[in-house]
Amino acid sequence: MTTFLALTLVGLVVGCIYALTACGLVVTYTTSGVFNFAHGAIGMVAAFTYWQLSVGWGLPVWLSLLLVLLVMAPLMGALVERVLVRPLYGAPIGVTLVVTLGLLISLIGLANLAWPPTTTRVLPKFFAGRTVTLASLVVSYNEILVIVTAALVAVTLRSFFTRTRTGIAMRAVVDDQELAALAGTNPQRVAQLSWALGATLAALAGVLLAPLVTLDILGLTLLVINGYAAAMVGRLRHLPATVSGALALGLLDSWLIGYAPGGVVNVLKPALPMFLLFGAVLFLKQERLRAGSLAGVRMPRTPSFRRSVGSAAAFVVAAWVVSGQLSAANLATGGQGLVLAFIMLSLVLLSGYGGQVSLCQLTFVGLGAFAMGKIGGGSPLGLLGAIALPAATGALIALTVVRLRGLYLALATLAFAQAMDVIFFSRALGYGGNLEVARPSLPGIDLGNDRTYFVLLAVVFAVGAVGVLALRRRAFGRRLVALNDSPAACATMGVSVATTKLIVLTASAGLAGLGGALFGGLHGSVSPNDFVLLNSLLLLLLATLGGLYTVSGAFLAAMFYALFPVLQNRYPGLGQVSYLLTGLGALSLGRNRYGMGGQLADLGERLRAWRLPAGQQAEVLHAAG
Amino acid sequence: MLQVESVDVRFGGVQALADVSLCVDSGSLVGLIGPNGAGKTTLFNVITGLEMPARGRVVLDGRDVTRLPPHRRARLGLGRTFQRIEVFSSLSVRDNVLAAAEARRSWGHDEPDPARTATDVLERVGLADLAGERVDGLSTGLLRLVEVARALASRPSLLLLDEPGSGLDGTESEALGTLLLDLVSDGVAILLVEHDVELVMRVCQQLHVLDFGRVIASGTPSQVRQNAAVQAAYLGADAGVVHA
Repeated sequence: MTTFLALTLVGLVVGCIYALTACGLVVTYTTSGVFNFAHGAIGMVAAFTYWQLSVGWGLPVWLSLLLVLLVMAPLMGALVERVLVRPLYGAPIGVTLVVTLGLLISLIGLANLAWPPTTTRVLPKFFAGRTVTLASLVVSYNEILVIVTAALVAVTLRSFFTRTRTGIAMRAVVDDQELAALAGTNPQRVAQLSWALGATLAALAGVLLAPLVTLDILGLTLLVINGYAAAMVGRLRHLPATVSGALALGLLDSWLIGYAPGGVVNVLKPALPMFLLFGAVLFLKQERLRAGSLAGVRMPRTPSFRRSVGSAAAFVVAAWVVSGQLSAANLATGGQGLVLAFIMLSLVLLSGYGGQVSLCQLTFVGLGAFAMGKIGGGSPLGLLGAIALPAATGALIALTVVRLRGLYLALATLAFAQAMDVIFFSRALGYGGNLEVARPSLPGIDLGNDRTYFVLLAVVFAVGAVGVLALRRRAFGRRLVALNDSPAACATMGVSVATTKLIVLTASAGLAGLGGALFGGLHGSVSPNDFVLLNSLLLLLLATLGGLYTVSGAFLAAMFYALFPVLQNRYPGLGQVSYLLTGLGALSLGRNRYGMGGQLADLGERLRAWRLPAGQQAEVLHAAG
Repeated sequence: MLQVESVDVRFGGVQALADVSLCVDSGSLVGLIGPNGAGKTTLFNVITGLEMPARGRVVLDGRDVTRLPPHRRARLGLGRTFQRIEVFSSLSVRDNVLAAAEARRSWGHDEPDPARTATDVLERVGLADLAGERVDGLSTGLLRLVEVARALASRPSLLLLDEPGSGLDGTESEALGTLLLDLVSDGVAILLVEHDVELVMRVCQQLHVLDFGRVIASGTPSQVRQNAAVQAAYLGADAGVVHA
C-alpha cells in the first residue's frame, strides 16, 4: 500500500508538471492559432537560466525564481510573439511549424553554446532534504511545492479566464478573432499576452522539472512531448481535459515503473506519450473542411520533361568527372550529400507539393536501412523491404491522422520519431552498436568501389529528381498541389482528401526508406544516432531553407547538411553555430517562404526574360512577380 | 434533383439556418437571394457537405446524402463555386480546370480525355486566351469564371454557384447569363446565389429569399418582387436592389 501511495505521489508530481506545460501550450495555441513547437525549449532555457542564477552565480533562490519566472519568461514569450509569430497569422501549417521549429533548434544551439554539455549541472531540490510523513508516506517539501503550485496555477487560470476582463477577452479571441476585434478587443495584444503567459508556464514547468531529472538540454526540450500528448487529450482547447490527460500520463508512467517487469517498462515507458497521443487522435472527430483558403503559395515553374532529363544527364556526367578528383573522405561526404538529397526528394513530394509535414522522415530512413540490413545481402528483396516497411508504417500513421488538420500529422510523427528513437533503433540496430548494411548489387558493376557507388548515388538522385518532377507535371501532381491550395475545393470536385494524403505519405515514406538503404550502403553500417528526432527536424528545416518546392533546393540543402559534420570536425566550436544558423534561417522563412531554391528559380525566370523581346519580357517578369 | 428538407444549422448561439426547405428540379435554374449574412453560403455548405446540419435532410436524386462526405456527393454529380474564391493559386488557369477533369476521370468512367474537356470548358466560359496564365494575377471577376469552368469540368448535373457575377462588368455579366441559360438547356440544374438582381431576374425560373436563416418568400421572380416581406427584409440593407 505504501509503495502504491509513493508511486502515486511521484506520478502526481510529474503529472502536475506536464499539466503546467500543457496548459501553456493550449493557451498560446488557442489564442494565436500557432502551435509552439519551441514550448519545451523555452522551458529548457528557463531551467538552465535558473541554474545559472542560483547555482552558477549564487543568487538567492527567491530572486532567481523571480527573475526567471516573472521577468525573463514573459518577456521572451512576448518578444517571440511580436517578432516571429505575428507575421504568421493565417499562414499555412508548414510555415508556422518551420518557424517554431527554427526557434527550437536555435534555442538548443544557444543553450549548447552557453552551457556546454561537458559540465554536469545539478539543481538542488527546493527545500532540499526536508520531508513530512503523512500516514506512513514520506513526502518531500519539493513534492508538496510542485502539487501546491500546480493547484494554485489551475485555480488562478480558472478565475483569470472567467472573472477578469483580459481573461474573458482571451476566450473571446479564441472563439472568433474578428468578432472580438469588433467588440473592442485588440486580438494582437491578447495573443501577445497569451504568449507571455504560455512562456511563463513553460518556464515554471522547466524549473520544477529540472531538479527531478538531470539538467540535459535535449532531454528537457523533448519532455514536452508529454505535454503535447496531454494537450491532445484536451483537443488543444480544453484546459480541464488537458490537466486530466497530464495527470493520467504522470500516474501511468509512475505505476508502470513500479509494477511492470523491467523489460516491459523499457519498451512501454518511452512510448507512453506516443500511445496517449495516438489514442487521443483516434477519438478526435473528423474535421470539416473549411472554405476560405490560405494565402496561396506561388510555386516556381516546373521544368519540362526534356529539360529535366537533360539537366539530370549533365548532373550525372558532372558527378562522374568530379568523383575522379575527390579524396576518399570527400567521396564519403559527397556521397552523404547525394543520399540526403535523395531523401529530401521525399520531402519535396510530401511537404513541397502536398503541403503535409512529417517530422519523422529520418525514422523512415532508418526503417529502410534496417530492412536492407536484416533482409540484406544487397539483394533486390532487401531493397523491396527497404521501401515496403517504411511505406507500410507511413500508411499506418496516415490512417490515424489524415482526417485531421496538418498539425496533427506533425504532432503524431514527432511523437512517433521520439518513441522509435528510444524503443526501436537502440535495440534493433544492436545495443549502442551498428547494424551492417550491404550495398545493393548490380550485375557487372563493382559497387564496392567508392567512386562507382558515388556515381550510382548521383544516378539515383538524378532519376529520383526527374521522377518527382514528372509526377508534379502529371495528374497526381496537380491533385497534390490543388489539395494544398484548397482542400475544400478539391473535395467538392470529387477528390478524397484523406485518400490523397494517405497515398502521398506512403509514397514519401517509401522513398525515404529507399534512401535509407542507400545511406546504409554508403557507410556500410548504421547506428541509432543516425536517425534521431533532432536530425529529422534539422533535415526538414534545411530542406525548407533550400526550398521545398524545387529539386535544386533539395540538392543545395542536402549538400549543406552533409558538410555539417565535416565543419564540426575541423572547427569544433562551429557545430553549435551551424545549429543556430539553421534555426535563425528557418525563422526568416516567416517572411520569405520559398527558400534558396525558390530564389534560384526566380532568378532563372528573370534571366530567361532578358533573352526575350521586350513585350514578352514584361509578361514573364509579371508572371515571375 | 435536389431536395433540402427542414435544415437547421446553429453556430453557438446563432441560428444560421432555421427549417429551410427548398427543391431544385433537374434542368431548372433556381435563384437564392437575401441580404448578406442571411445564410446562403451556409446552405451551400450544407448541400455540398462542408457543413453538417443539426437537423434536416439533403436528398440528391432521391438519395439521402446528409451523412455523405463532400467528395462522395461531388461524385453523384454535385458541383459548386465559392463566394470567397477557392482557386488553386499555384496552378495555371488551364491546370485548375484540368485537375477537375482528371479528378472526374479517377472516379467517373466517362472521361476519356481530360485535356480535351479542359480545352472545351475554357472555350465555353471564354477563358481560352488566358489558359496558360497563373491564376494569382487575375481579377476577381475572372477568378470566378475559373471556378465556374472548374466546376463544369467535372460535368455536374447540379451546379451551385455562389455569386458568380460579382466582379464582372455589364458585358461579362450578360455573357454569364447566356452561359447559364445554355447550361440549363443542356439539362444542368443550377442553384444560383447572386446579388446582381438584373441577372437573377433575367435567368431564374424560380426564386427563394433567405433572411436571418429562414426562407421568407418563394415564387417566380415577378411574384417575389411584389412580396411585402421581401421588400421589408431588403429595406434596411439594400433597398435599391429590389427596385432595380
